[in-house]
Amino acid sequence: MTRLPSRPARPPMPPARPPMPPAPFRPPAAGRRARRAGRRLRRAPLALATAVLLVIEVYPLVWLLLGSLKTQSEFMNNPTWALPTDWTNFDNYRQAWESGVSRNLLNSVIAVFPSLALIIVFGVAAGFALEVMVWKGRGTVLLVFLGGIMIPSQMILLPLFSAYFKTHLTGTVWPLILTYTATGLPLTVFMMATYFRSIPKELFEAATIDGASAFRSFRSIAFPMMTNAIFTVGLVQFFFLWNDLLLAMTFTSGAGHDELATVQVGLLSFQGRFGAVQYGPTMAAICVNVLITLALYLFLNQRVMKGMTAGAVKG
Amino acid sequence: MTRSTSFANRRAVFGAAALTCLALVLPACADKEEESPGDGSGSPATSAGGDFAYLGLTENTTVASVLAALEKDYCADTLAAYPLKASDYAQDQFDQQLQLLAPQDALPNLSSGPNAPALAVELYEGGYLVDFSTALAEVGAADALLPAAASVVESLYDGNLIGLPNEFNIEGVWYNKQLLSDNGIEPPATWDEFTAANAKLAAAGVQPWSVAGSGGDGWNITRLVGNYIFRSLGPDAMQAVADGSAALTDAEYVAAADAVNAWGTAGYFGAAPTSIDYATAMNTFLTGQAAFYYMGSWALGNFNNEEENQIGADNIGYLPFPDVAGGKGSSDQVPANAGMPQIMSTAAYGDASKAWLKCIADNFGHVALSEYGVISGFQVNGEVADLPALTQEVQQIMADAPSSVLWFEAKFSAEATTTSQTNAGLLAEGGLSGADFMAAIQADLG
Amino acid sequence: MRQVLGDRKTIAALLAPALITYSAVMLAPMLWSLGYTFFSGSPVRGFTWSGLANFAELFKDPKTKDAIAFTAKYALTITTGQVALGYLLALLYVFYLKRSSTLIRTLTFFPVVLPTVAVSLLFQKLFEIAPATGPVNSALEALGGEAVNWFGSGSNAFWVIAIMDIWRSMGFYAVLLYAGLVDIPEDVIESARLDGAGGWRLARFIVFPMSWPVLISALIFSINGTLKVFDSIYALTGGGPGSQTTPLTLYMYRTAFAYGDYGYGSSIALLLTMLCLVVTVFMFRGTRKDLTA
Repeated sequence: MTRLPSRPARPPMPPARPPMPPAPFRPPAAGRRARRAGRRLRRAPLALATAVLLVIEVYPLVWLLLGSLKTQSEFMNNPTWALPTDWTNFDNYRQAWESGVSRNLLNSVIAVFPSLALIIVFGVAAGFALEVMVWKGRGTVLLVFLGGIMIPSQMILLPLFSAYFKTHLTGTVWPLILTYTATGLPLTVFMMATYFRSIPKELFEAATIDGASAFRSFRSIAFPMMTNAIFTVGLVQFFFLWNDLLLAMTFTSGAGHDELATVQVGLLSFQGRFGAVQYGPTMAAICVNVLITLALYLFLNQRVMKGMTAGAVKG
Repeated sequence: MTRSTSFANRRAVFGAAALTCLALVLPACADKEEESPGDGSGSPATSAGGDFAYLGLTENTTVASVLAALEKDYCADTLAAYPLKASDYAQDQFDQQLQLLAPQDALPNLSSGPNAPALAVELYEGGYLVDFSTALAEVGAADALLPAAASVVESLYDGNLIGLPNEFNIEGVWYNKQLLSDNGIEPPATWDEFTAANAKLAAAGVQPWSVAGSGGDGWNITRLVGNYIFRSLGPDAMQAVADGSAALTDAEYVAAADAVNAWGTAGYFGAAPTSIDYATAMNTFLTGQAAFYYMGSWALGNFNNEEENQIGADNIGYLPFPDVAGGKGSSDQVPANAGMPQIMSTAAYGDASKAWLKCIADNFGHVALSEYGVISGFQVNGEVADLPALTQEVQQIMADAPSSVLWFEAKFSAEATTTSQTNAGLLAEGGLSGADFMAAIQADLG
Repeated sequence: MRQVLGDRKTIAALLAPALITYSAVMLAPMLWSLGYTFFSGSPVRGFTWSGLANFAELFKDPKTKDAIAFTAKYALTITTGQVALGYLLALLYVFYLKRSSTLIRTLTFFPVVLPTVAVSLLFQKLFEIAPATGPVNSALEALGGEAVNWFGSGSNAFWVIAIMDIWRSMGFYAVLLYAGLVDIPEDVIESARLDGAGGWRLARFIVFPMSWPVLISALIFSINGTLKVFDSIYALTGGGPGSQTTPLTLYMYRTAFAYGDYGYGSSIALLLTMLCLVVTVFMFRGTRKDLTA
């Protein structure tokens, strides 16, 4: 097998290197040390920016964690940045757990991961058919898919609700999986098509000359080459689906401790009457969710970044 | 190199294939879990079989708890064949869910009514809701409702008794006795006396009112506007707007919004009502940081909760909404509501619904009061001992009140209600004039 | 060869699952709802034919105008903000932090994972003015400024929304764009360096043009997301105060489901779809031209 370009997600190369303007004024070669010191000085603002960035990103997590240990009255009557008075107050966690956080997590997993798998398999296949295969009308079909990116999901709620009801799917996890898959496809197909476009056509042509069927080309050349793209798109879709509230609210028959409620829906169940929020349990539930998603993300992230950097070493 | 790559490739394909299989298997497992015996479709609101489906508000668990108690302790015999299947839905999206369910004939046997009374009337006119004026008699419980509560429900739904009053609340101004006496203020009885008291409190550095006006929580502010109208123009003033014989933009209506706006501009509602939500407003009052608080008697639960209420239950007094000088209304017309009355579906109305309706009619009032301290619109059958003093006081006020009035938005369309409640915070903050506030609502009344 | 890559059966087999799911679950309901634009009423009241009345209403309704204006303002600000900051972050990862960027990358990405409810709660507390003074207002006061009532007016609340959503998503875009930047062959950059290009000039003439396609993808992606914003605004301000921060999606949702006017709601949704379409086609053309030039 010829050595494949290991980085399919590469954007199409610009045709030629942009013309380089003549070199600007450059100080005559100064001592190495001076240059390095200068560079360090110039980089100081960057270092500072990185530090600020870290604070901005980490503070909310700390705030969440601290909040999850506070009682309602502490939350209400003490300043936001105050520390919890009792560091071993795990009541909120108990309450959150009893309200079915684990069930919600399981539901989210049951709804999101199958959808994700379907989105990717369907999406890569369609991307291949639309970009690598040669047939009339594929441009139009691609546009039809692209159109889906623009449809607001509020618009399909009502017809879907009655359709699922009539087909007796309501009350199962299928409405969520079907809707998630369908809403995820446009972007995925579009992105996959773009990725396939960047793979040299000759590759598939060569495989064909070697006697491979199109389906075989897809399975043993295209799909594996897409691994990085798949992880990137998968990550994007994962967070879309994981954070979805609107569809989950509509297609799980209720909130909170409902049999099908996902994580996002479950969080609503800490809202009291007339919008009263039970802050402590809400934050405890969020913390539990966040820790688990964090673990998931770190796992995926390792994989994604590995793929990306492996490809990046030699473009 | 080449070999290992193709091996990795194959593994990736296998992985993907395995993932797809998993995708197809997982939901199948979930399905199995969901399907309960005797209930093939597994739909949330199914009424087939013997189940009695109830859909409540996530935010209010009292009804579901009372129903569970009824099934277990009070009507175990008659309800044995019709097990309760309760689920809930967030109040914010509740109306949407009802609208989606009704056309499928999938409303549960019993559910909380919609946020917008107008939607309940629409549902009734579409033939989806049970009329309790006949249904109660049919199960031999014609006298189950307190006449006052029944009339509140009827006036809410254009004269139709289509909701069961699971709550019966009066509203008014609750005040912190200590704060008033510390500042030498007698409990005020008229709007002008309130204005004077506000000024005195503010001068002493005490925030006079605790109100909520963030998001859609502004209803407690619009209540002030509405009640002012009832006091100044009489109890039929809002009906006149609904009939079209008066408009909110009329000068005498705008005057009410202006009066509330004037208090806000003077800072009597605190620094920023638009950032205060319901829980925060409640907390402000219950921690002694504000003297007055407009609220319904459903808050008795919070008032009687010692942990939440740090000023003490006996430190809280009730004042009827004040008279307005020269007004046609009077302070003994008490603002009242029936919570979010429970509705029953015609499509699911059968033996299960009837048996449950009978049991609810006979026992709801007693169980709600004795076990949850909630005053409902049902007759209380049997003695209830050891009620907190504040609760007894409220019961007495209810018994003594000669007549009641609804609230500002009771006759509004859903759109006008939203406009009213989301703009209320601005009105109370001085960011919106009375005239603009009323004009915005009038535009949505259609 | 033509025959193999043009094999109809294979095309059908590969395309069918996606096309069928997509058509059945998105296109068909979309067309169905489109039909409702000619009707007034709701599923509960029943529908009555109203011709083009809904479209006429679209042009008259001041709330629609406000919602369009807000949506446009939001989409422009947030898209610019999240892609620009994301790009800067990506540059930071690639050219400054290099291999050691994993931790920072993970941390900045993290807010995307947080549930919307949590993030909005956090920002409400951060920008709080009453009953307690939140950190932001405390900081303002410490710097000699005056505390701002952030949620008291649409224009103030807009900035909180903008800050929140940009904060939330810039790490996400950074990772997307990072993938594009990392792709630029190192020898190209090295040879440019040897040619004497450094810092800004390197970015301007090498990095920027070479990551342009990814940048455009990110922009299309972002603008379609921001035009359809719902969750974050719904959770943070609920569209308030008044309706000053109400985007088209929220107005559509309320009209259709809370106000029971499904036909008009669908018309608003159609308007939004057209808006997305126009913007995307516009940007798409831009990319195509760029790619073939």
